[in-house]
Amino acid sequence: MNEREQGEAREKAKLVDEQLAALIACGSVAIFFVWYWIGQIQSVIELLRLAYG
Amino acid sequence: MPTSLLGPYTRTILVAAVLAVTLGFALSGARGEVHGGLLPFFEWLETTWLGYVGKTWGAAFATIQAFHLLGLALLGGAVLVAEGRILGVVLTEVEQGLIISRCNAVFNIAMATLVATGIFMACGVAVKIYYLPVYWYKMLALGAGAGFHYLVRQPLVERAPGEVNPWLLKLMAVVSIMVWFTVAATGRWIGFSG
Repeated sequence: MNEREQGEAREKAKLVDEQLAALIACGSVAIFFVWYWIGQIQSVIELLRLAYG
Repeated sequence: MPTSLLGPYTRTILVAAVLAVTLGFALSGARGEVHGGLLPFFEWLETTWLGYVGKTWGAAFATIQAFHLLGLALLGGAVLVAEGRILGVVLTEVEQGLIISRCNAVFNIAMATLVATGIFMACGVAVKIYYLPVYWYKMLALGAGAGFHYLVRQPLVERAPGEVNPWLLKLMAVVSIMVWFTVAATGRWIGFSG
């Protein structure tokens, strides 16, 4: 493998790494966001039930 | 480069490690210990001249808070325009790279404004916010947002069009809006607490 091909391979691996990192970060944030807001909505529903039956 | 020691998946390993450490910190007793140890620092913040001005001069606090809210509006606008363009909702006739780079410049100014004015405001009510759980939620969201923006999102959106998976770009745009929405919401929540 010559120098140019090695450079291209390195760049390709870097892109895969950046995309994988983004996927993990996005997945974690999305799961946390959904879990958090479901909890908040449930809490409001319980409060409304207590107040209005 | 020291990060090359982690092999070809350096960024992925670092992101997973940060997430694991954050989760471990949140679920373990370390959170309570660190929180308790920070009280003297917050008490000291109120004794600084920034804290003194913030507590005694209402007009100065209100003026700085106005700049804080303008910074928040600027940041929200930069995020919505950049992510809206990636999602194909706004300014579709303008080149995506141009919008992203201009929005990033605005985002940096907004971020600097928010941090500078936020420190001043925090000094004035340091002990009060120390006891507010929502202040810590906001700091967590802000840290996650800044880390996500500069370390995860920015390297990918700066690449040439077509290089990055378009669905991943759209997912990042949605997540970015989610994170900054949470930062703004928790920020306003502080104003309604205590």
